[in-house]
Amino acid sequence: MGTENVHPPIVQLSTVDKVLALGRANSLWPMTFGLACCAIEMMATGAARFDLARFGAEVFRPSPRQCDVMIVAGTISKKMYPAVKTLYDQMPEPKWVIAMGNCAISGGPFVFEGQYGIIEGADKFLPVDIYIPGCPPRPEALIEGILELEEKLTGSRRWPRVKAG
Amino acid sequence: MEQQPILDILYVAAFFLGGVAFAIGPFVAAFLLAPRSTRHVSGKTKQLIECGVEPIGDAWIRYGIVYYLYALIFLAFDVDVLFLFPVAVAYNQHFAMRDFVEVVIFVGILSLAVVYAWKKGVFSWERKTYTPR
Repeated sequence: MGTENVHPPIVQLSTVDKVLALGRANSLWPMTFGLACCAIEMMATGAARFDLARFGAEVFRPSPRQCDVMIVAGTISKKMYPAVKTLYDQMPEPKWVIAMGNCAISGGPFVFEGQYGIIEGADKFLPVDIYIPGCPPRPEALIEGILELEEKLTGSRRWPRVKAG
Repeated sequence: MEQQPILDILYVAAFFLGGVAFAIGPFVAAFLLAPRSTRHVSGKTKQLIECGVEPIGDAWIRYGIVYYLYALIFLAFDVDVLFLFPVAVAYNQHFAMRDFVEVVIFVGILSLAVVYAWKKGVFSWERKTYTPR
């Protein structure tokens, strides 16, 4: 499930690792890659109104070889399943996966007895780091997910936490 | 006074080394600091095509080179126009008639290349394919 050991770098120093983690967290490069309606919200997040660029994650790359984050935005149909797997394989380490929306978390509304068309959740075959619930999640929720991922990388939160409600 | 040239060379060498280090340094840093493998779920890390879909066939195929001949003919016109620029600058400075005749001769000789290609059938668009042996 993509959890096998990664060969570590030749040089490993804890201070250098901290600096690298800080750099990676503050400039995450997601993949231009939408599967369903959540991708519309992802596009809105990257566009002018919500402006993901404020958090350094706006460089959506069209090639998996240049990406850090795979945002699984939508339903993973069985037809798309091999493509998603291939794209994940092609991303270089370090890489993270965000499951955006209920479909990518668990299959969402498409789960019923005898369903034959979809994979019930990205974590069935990918090591998912961040889950963003919603159907679809609002752009703010995706931004919050990115911030959570940054926190996972660096161990500290860069932006103040906003209470719900 | 004699130390000045050596100092200059040292300066140039220092800047040269600085430039080389600036260019090669990131490669070395990336080599040392990057993880040396990547996780995979279906063993497709080395697949060349990056759209997620299995590549169909090979990129090394045979295809018609008809356009290549067109490109060669274009080159004839291209060089033609290139040499006409100085002519246009010097035109009509002394004898307009002589300039005109010389341009006509020049363009005429170059046009023979096009006539030759025409005669050889380059302008009829036919796929020239060869079966692989």
